[in-house]
Amino acid sequence: MSNKEDILKKYRANVREKFDMPDLSDIKAITYPTPLLQFIKMTEMVGGQAIEVHPGRDINVLIKELFPDAKEIASNLPEITIATRNPDTVGRARDLNGTDIGIIRGAFGVAENACIWVPQTMKEKAVCFISENLVILLPKSQIVNNMHEAYKRIEFDKEYNGYGTFISGPSKTADIAQVLVMGAQAARSATVLLMPE
Amino acid sequence: MGTAHSNAAKEFLKNRTYAKWHDATFWAVRTKRDNMAYGLEEWEQLREKASAIKRHTITHLDEYLDQFATKAEENGCIVHWAKDANEFNEIVYGILKNHNVKKLVKSKSMLTEECGMNPYLEQHGIEVVETDLGERIIQLKGQAPSHIVMPAIHLNHDDVGELFEEKLGSEKGNHDPTYLTYVARLSLRNEFLTADAGMTGANFGIAETGDIVVCTNEGNADMSTSCPKLHIAAIGLEKVIPNYDCLAVFQRMLCRAGTGQPTTTFTSHFRKARPTANPMHIVLVDNGRSEWIGNPEHWEALKCIRCGSCMNTCPVYRRSGGYSYSYFIPGPIGINLGMLRDPQKHSGNVSACTLCNSCQTVCPSKVNLGDQIYMWRQQLDEFGTANPQKKLMCKSMSMVYGSEGMYNLGTALAHWANIIPSPLINCGLNPWAEGHKMMEFPKKPFHKLWKDIK
Repeated sequence: MSNKEDILKKYRANVREKFDMPDLSDIKAITYPTPLLQFIKMTEMVGGQAIEVHPGRDINVLIKELFPDAKEIASNLPEITIATRNPDTVGRARDLNGTDIGIIRGAFGVAENACIWVPQTMKEKAVCFISENLVILLPKSQIVNNMHEAYKRIEFDKEYNGYGTFISGPSKTADIAQVLVMGAQAARSATVLLMPE
Repeated sequence: MGTAHSNAAKEFLKNRTYAKWHDATFWAVRTKRDNMAYGLEEWEQLREKASAIKRHTITHLDEYLDQFATKAEENGCIVHWAKDANEFNEIVYGILKNHNVKKLVKSKSMLTEECGMNPYLEQHGIEVVETDLGERIIQLKGQAPSHIVMPAIHLNHDDVGELFEEKLGSEKGNHDPTYLTYVARLSLRNEFLTADAGMTGANFGIAETGDIVVCTNEGNADMSTSCPKLHIAAIGLEKVIPNYDCLAVFQRMLCRAGTGQPTTTFTSHFRKARPTANPMHIVLVDNGRSEWIGNPEHWEALKCIRCGSCMNTCPVYRRSGGYSYSYFIPGPIGINLGMLRDPQKHSGNVSACTLCNSCQTVCPSKVNLGDQIYMWRQQLDEFGTANPQKKLMCKSMSMVYGSEGMYNLGTALAHWANIIPSPLINCGLNPWAEGHKMMEFPKKPFHKLWKDIK
């Protein structure tokens, strides 16, 4: 078996002219007068739903209203009192299958494409994908303009520091005859609850 | 005089309705891409930066690969280096065997396709389940992808419906794409829950953090790694980039260029295994890349981020389909990668280009795809793959065009060819007459006209 050094040696022998790293600080990236409005618009465009939550509103009641038929609700968030399952305490990740609503927290949103940074903050990240419907709680003050700003501030969780993802809308596919269908392998709907300060 | 590509394209074109749909579908994707590109004033600046980042990175890969591997190991991953396809397959099989894996779910990876991993693992008794819907469809059908981003684009909903009736027990005659997607979802859900290991490819590897970044719309890479106890990530050497600032440039372009969406639904960063799983394995694969970097005319093909935009826009791809190419990656980038891989085997593809350069005009990392195809054509004689008939024609043409007397005589006499009855000249023996009628030669050649005007 060859190893790292063999491959790198071969590469070094073959590489010719070397090029410098470009300056990326002068990229004139798009910004928006009201990033929050753009974020909401893009969330709808990618097939999601964004709801502004008014101060004092009980989100447990709100979620129940949004999904009246939901039975199994998975979350480890302290403010969620309607959860029937906890991704921190399930025996195996697969036990989260059959979850009607997974409720998770996003760190910040990106106006240009409705991405939400979701670092893993639970033992089993399956809850973010295996649930039929995904609800993401997002502080509405935390919206950046574009991915350049986003990548300057992403952070992993201190405890679960192995994974994080940007999520923009529900899982989707157009693999059958180019017809867009929501809900390929992960959540079939994505609802962003924009939380007040 | 047909090439391997043009002969295969004839098969594709037999179904006129489908060929027309294929062309229109990809043109629609190209239009969506344009809307995205025009929506950002900085688009061309991003392309410049993307190209420059890639030029820098792939000419300093030894440093970045070392940094990436070191960081990934610090994170707790096990990093492997494979010099070729065979070694890659052996490494993956070794890991699976050590973990007693019977079933592997995997997200889309052109690299595993390149290495022929699935058949290798299946021969060794491991069940491999593709989880991208398009990949799953062609796996059930026993076919190869016909596009790198939309692998099952050559099948319509009736084809998929009939396939699912047979393989997944879907309702007879229900070929509604939404219903069929749901059937696949239920079937794949079961696979995710019962697999022993999950495999992903990688759109990017980040040297500074050791992250493997995977972009999907379906969430299948995330599902593949959420339940099984083992995650193996396969990544080609050229996919490593320096840091998040660079990633921001590519993340913004990948999906806008490829499918005309502002982003993929999921942009996932895998840094190490889940707390309840075994350590994550990363396999870095060379398989020719360390050689291709030394090719003075074609090294820039390594800048490709596999978005698929060059094939979406290509007038030849749109009208001939992925299966007309002999390499497993079709379209402009596939022509070039195929020639880097094995020019003798894949020379038949270089004719699949009108040199319109639309590919390199849309390419987000500015790979000079059309120019490279042109350069490959100049080398066919060296490879021994030049068409003898065309060679002879070129020789005779240079003789005629090289001699004023012969040229003038030829153009003066050409109009006599007009009296040959059409069935004799517009027939199979005249390669020019294939697909178009022979032109009528003017009685007065251009030179004569010009002199008369004067």
